Amino acid sequence: MTFKLNSLSLLCIAAFATPALATSPVPAAAQQGAVLLNDATLHTVSNGVLENTDLLMVDGKIAAIGKDLSAPAGGTVVELQGKHVYPGLIALANQLGLVEIEAVRATDDTHEVTDTNPDVRAQVAYDAQSDVIPTVRSNGISYSLVFPAGSLLMGQSSLMQLDAWSWQDATVKAGVALHINWPNASVLSSPWNPKKPEELAKQNAEDLQKLYDTMAQAKAYVDAKKAGAIKALDSRWEAMIPVFSGERAVFAHAEDARQIRQAIALADKYQLKLTIVGGRDSWRVADELAARKVPVIFGSPFGIPDRDDEAVDTAYATPAKLAKAGVTFALAIGSYWDSRNLAFGAGQAVAFGLDKEQALAAVTLNAAKIAGVDDRLGSLEVGKAATVVVSEGDILDYRSSKISSMWIDGRAVDLNNKQKDLHQKYQQRYSR
Amino acid sequence: MKPLRLSLLSAAVVCAVAPAWADPTQPLQGIRDNSAQLLAFTGAVVHTEPGKTLSNATVLVQSGKITAVGTNLKIPAGFRQIDVAGYHLYPGFIDLYGQYGVEKASSERSGGRGDGPMYQNPRRGGNAVNAAIHAEQRWADSFMPNADDAKAYQQQGFTTVQSARQDGIFRGQAVVASTGKGLPGELILNADGQHFLSFDPGSSKQSYPSSLMGSIALVRQTLADAQWYQQAYGKADWRLFREPVPFNAALAALGQLNQTGLVFEVNNERNLLRADSLLKEFNLPKVALVASGYEYVRAADVKKTGRNLIVPLAYPAAPSVGKLDDQLDVSLADLRHWERAPTNAGALEKAGVNFALTTHKLDDKAKFWPNVRTAIKYGLSTEKALAALTTVPAELIGMPGQLGRIASGYQADLVVSKGDLFKDGEIVATWNRGVETQFKPLQNADVAGDYALNVAGKALKLNLSGALGKVEGKVQQGEKEAKLENLSVDKQQVQFGFSLKDVDAGDGVALFSGSMAGNLLQGTLQLPDGSQQALTLSRQAAAVKADEKKAEDSTLLSQLSMPNQAYGVANAPQRQNVHIKNATVWTSDKAGKLENTDVIVRDGVFTEIGKNLKTPSGFVEIDATGMHVTAGIIDEHSHIAIESGVNEGSDAVTSEVHIGDVLNPDDINIYRGLAGGTTTAQLLHGSANPIGGKAQVIQLRWGVSPEGLKFKAAPASIKFALGENVKQSNWGDNYTSRYPQSRVGVETTIRDAFQAAKEYKAAWAAYDDLSSSEQKRTVPPRVDYRLQTLVEILDNKRFVHTHSYVASEILMLIKLADETGFKVTTFTHILEGYKTAKEMKEHGASASTFADWWAYKMEVKDAIPTNTCLMADQGVVVSVNSDSPDLQRRLNQEAAKSVKYCGMSEEDALKMVTINPAIQLKVDQKVGSIAEGKQADFVLWSEHPLSVYAKAMQTWIDGTKYYDRNVDMTLNAGIEREKQQLIQKVLKAPDSAKAGSGGEMKKPEPIWHCEDNGDYLDLAFGRVAGAQQHAHQH
Repeated sequence: MTFKLNSLSLLCIAAFATPALATSPVPAAAQQGAVLLNDATLHTVSNGVLENTDLLMVDGKIAAIGKDLSAPAGGTVVELQGKHVYPGLIALANQLGLVEIEAVRATDDTHEVTDTNPDVRAQVAYDAQSDVIPTVRSNGISYSLVFPAGSLLMGQSSLMQLDAWSWQDATVKAGVALHINWPNASVLSSPWNPKKPEELAKQNAEDLQKLYDTMAQAKAYVDAKKAGAIKALDSRWEAMIPVFSGERAVFAHAEDARQIRQAIALADKYQLKLTIVGGRDSWRVADELAARKVPVIFGSPFGIPDRDDEAVDTAYATPAKLAKAGVTFALAIGSYWDSRNLAFGAGQAVAFGLDKEQALAAVTLNAAKIAGVDDRLGSLEVGKAATVVVSEGDILDYRSSKISSMWIDGRAVDLNNKQKDLHQKYQQRYSR
Repeated sequence: MKPLRLSLLSAAVVCAVAPAWADPTQPLQGIRDNSAQLLAFTGAVVHTEPGKTLSNATVLVQSGKITAVGTNLKIPAGFRQIDVAGYHLYPGFIDLYGQYGVEKASSERSGGRGDGPMYQNPRRGGNAVNAAIHAEQRWADSFMPNADDAKAYQQQGFTTVQSARQDGIFRGQAVVASTGKGLPGELILNADGQHFLSFDPGSSKQSYPSSLMGSIALVRQTLADAQWYQQAYGKADWRLFREPVPFNAALAALGQLNQTGLVFEVNNERNLLRADSLLKEFNLPKVALVASGYEYVRAADVKKTGRNLIVPLAYPAAPSVGKLDDQLDVSLADLRHWERAPTNAGALEKAGVNFALTTHKLDDKAKFWPNVRTAIKYGLSTEKALAALTTVPAELIGMPGQLGRIASGYQADLVVSKGDLFKDGEIVATWNRGVETQFKPLQNADVAGDYALNVAGKALKLNLSGALGKVEGKVQQGEKEAKLENLSVDKQQVQFGFSLKDVDAGDGVALFSGSMAGNLLQGTLQLPDGSQQALTLSRQAAAVKADEKKAEDSTLLSQLSMPNQAYGVANAPQRQNVHIKNATVWTSDKAGKLENTDVIVRDGVFTEIGKNLKTPSGFVEIDATGMHVTAGIIDEHSHIAIESGVNEGSDAVTSEVHIGDVLNPDDINIYRGLAGGTTTAQLLHGSANPIGGKAQVIQLRWGVSPEGLKFKAAPASIKFALGENVKQSNWGDNYTSRYPQSRVGVETTIRDAFQAAKEYKAAWAAYDDLSSSEQKRTVPPRVDYRLQTLVEILDNKRFVHTHSYVASEILMLIKLADETGFKVTTFTHILEGYKTAKEMKEHGASASTFADWWAYKMEVKDAIPTNTCLMADQGVVVSVNSDSPDLQRRLNQEAAKSVKYCGMSEEDALKMVTINPAIQLKVDQKVGSIAEGKQADFVLWSEHPLSVYAKAMQTWIDGTKYYDRNVDMTLNAGIEREKQQLIQKVLKAPDSAKAGSGGEMKKPEPIWHCEDNGDYLDLAFGRVAGAQQHAHQH
């Protein structure tokens, strides 16, 4: 038997299947039968836009893409009538699930103290039950790369899927990268901490030296260990072994052109697999980044200029400049709750010169590449995870981004969230 | 000069000569000093006053006073002749803004207000209610001369200095004193000088004021209090009060301001204009404003104030550009100011401003004269410069008949200079009231010139140049050259050495000692072997003057724009008559959305909207085919264009402070807002207190004055706040003592404030009802700006916009407002408005909210992005606001989020950033929609205005184009080019110009947020302590 559903009724099921005013949506069970998305506009990312095309999901994977596919027996057919299907979006470099309410310290697990935390792992604090996660998910985001913040060696990021019972369920890939908070390079005094340029220059140099010293110390441990000369394990430097072997990437949080160049130099010294996170000034060094094949997670698609002399659209236009220079880049937004605007950040880049396909890639396939999971995520391709999002229209624009359904690994995700619940609750107050 | 006999006491303070003055009450120790006090200065070029010079003139001085000046004066018998032939004599200079002989203010704050709040000033004697007020200080009372400081002034020719400790807002009454030697009392020329004021609370640790608007409010209230105190203190009938008026020495001292006058120091040109208008509210005469160095930017506005200025000549250090990487941190504005700072005095002269000069702000007073000469190079006339040092300051301190001229009857304060001081002269001596302080021997020979010199058979040339202490020289043979070492000229005696090898005349060093007589330099040259050679060298030609060969280029490379920074405009944009053709017009009005429509704008007003209209003659045509036109975007909640503090977050009620007092038209975020289509914004006080400051509605006219930003059609408004911020939930452990600390206390705070306001109003009414004779006997009510503002609310003349989040506090305020008798016009933020929409509608309140912000603090945990729709469904007028310069660039997108999240119609969504906020600001009759007769504020969009793909292409206010994306895109190249030119100029500049002389660049203003709290004045005045920022909150 085949169930025929349109996406609207699917949405209704999602809304009514949960009891009214549920505390939070229930994670979906593993995919049972096949699901055929019929007659969709497929934004494959890897193979352009396919109109009036079908996509078949079997056992959590994309089993087929083509015209006039049919569902195997027992499968479900979802009639999409030209609606837009995208790979589930990937939000990089945020702290979703690590903090619930920013101003309430007890709910904040985003930061650790000390400069040397290569061994801390973000995913263990990831609260799969967070009320924030479903609000991000319902905007089409299926994955989030969460990282622990702090200073210098901040810790390891982990790629999470956003429909899970626990952090174990949620973890798609652990230890994606070691995140380094790059020491400040500007000598511009912040109004909140006014200092003389000389003082700042000195502080910057000291901080950079500290990073170099730390790396040297870590490398010495790794070399000594290789030589069998270590008597007791050092939790911190153990975590550096995959970093020096190139197995684990280094994500350097660097906004300023000088920081970016310093990061490239350090990566050269130790043969690190470098990605720049933030990258406000990446447009200034775009050719260098392209030549060195250093990817960028550009963190400010809506950014306001950092310097008074910069054009008002400096940040808006940066993705287009990176694309023109041939830099591999993804787009990312914000700290946690605001990452739900990720798709619109990509849309903003389109308004300022980026090609639409490239904009989409910057929140899907390129993000997957940078996270090292492009073999299984990031595009609509046969064999990849059946993580797809359906939008009534163009997902990059506010006017048309209406997310009607999402599957993660073929599991139909409940797109309800706390905010929709509250909406319904108070609608009832006024309808009585 | 005969040997002196000095008493022990005077020896302590006197160096070489007996004081011309003595304290008759001082009991005599030892033998009296009755030295003759008759002096005749002869042969000098005497600059008797600006523009008047006598050559080869004589000045007679008797007992410290000038008795005669002339060219044919006979020297009376008994006068000691001082031959100053060839020297220039100037009247002693006057510095009106110093700290000479008084306790100096510390630039560091010990501890600082950041350590924790201090809400009350400990009261002592008659001190003021605020710790930044020291008006009761009379600095003459503790004046103590200081030899080192005196010398630093005298070396620059200053003989008179007006001083008070430069600390605080009201700094006390200055003392005018001579820099000469003597007992303190002898040196004081005026014990009741001018009061010094500023906006900087200085060492005060009191929390209030923490913002510039707070400083302004404190000055205003204190000046009003001083006037009141004059009428109130000591009156027996105090029926309107609970007790008699207490003694207050600070207010008593300020009662004399009309007579004494005042000097107000500012740190930028905008504050100069602010100080001026503030003082004008009190009709205070005798005001001098200490300039910041930035006045050239708004010289015409400065002229309009009609004020006298005291102008420092301290120039800033050049931005660091030596390393390529450094250039990322350098702004065009700072480069421009580095180049233009020396033009300030000249620009003020050109604008017709009357000013005195001061050494204030110089890191080293020795840089004063080099800086005067630089100012002259950049346009200051020597006559004006001299006046600014003599007659003008003498006039300003009311001593025009005693100081500032070389004329009979004037004090014998004289400056003796070798050469014209305004060109390259050097001060060799300063005379205070007939007593000399000498820096260089007057009698040094003039040795400059070329001399032929024969050594070991080689014909060499000796060249000496310069004069006085700055002589230098070299020996040459052909191309070869040896610099003179150890060169000294003392009276007639000349000594030097030089390397023979360098000029190919042997090995080792030759040493010369000789003396100059006329054009002959006679002496002995000792050769390396010890042999000596007698020389008579004859001067062949005068040396070329040093500065003529390397005359510095005074061409200015920087542009001057308004504001004077990147993206500033050279000329204010002009209103145009426009015909917009074939656009999609979103009227935000009954007409709805009109396709293929034309709009005619005449004299700043939409005059016609229709299809295929005819272009009136002379109108600019804009082909808007494919484009969209909307009304200008309006932002109910913004903190851009505010200077030095968005919160006066000290007291719980601060309704006396006014954002309108601190508008900053130079904020780049005005331009950025325009680039996002925003034309109008309400600038709100922050949310640190239940009753915050007065708000100001502005139009984003880039390139105007502070006054020009104000939207005159908008009625007055004020910010209230509820919840976490006002109860200081996230302020840290130091902030747990201010009432209120909970929402229950917020209610009582507001209720009691309004009760006080009602009683205040009643007290004035009762006083007004008294007969005039009764009024004379009765202590009048005190003008209280804090309560007056609340009375305006009760009188429906000022409208309340309240920061609020949760349902309980929303309902509380509605109830309280109903009970008190005022209306809440707009609940802003109002993220739980969807829970209370019914009650808001009943009260008549509107709502201005964030599109999708939440989770950043506890009170926003229930925020939902469909808040707009739920409130609108209940009939509440809803807008979305930015509360940030970032979102202000894309409020169209914020509106679009309601289309996404709750299916609001696109026209209604657009209204949330056009006509709805116009209604909330009560300017909807004027702006907010495109309708015939309304002010032509509009935006041309590249696409559908709610699309993420839309860009604002042009933004117009009142028929004037303030932003054009096509122009904007060309500006960058010019900015970069100008920066590179200026960077090259810095790189080539001499070290002294790079190092500057103590002048400062403007402090960068942060992007203000609602909850930014702490000490903005510490930021503004460059102190580290105190600043706090609460990130990511609203």
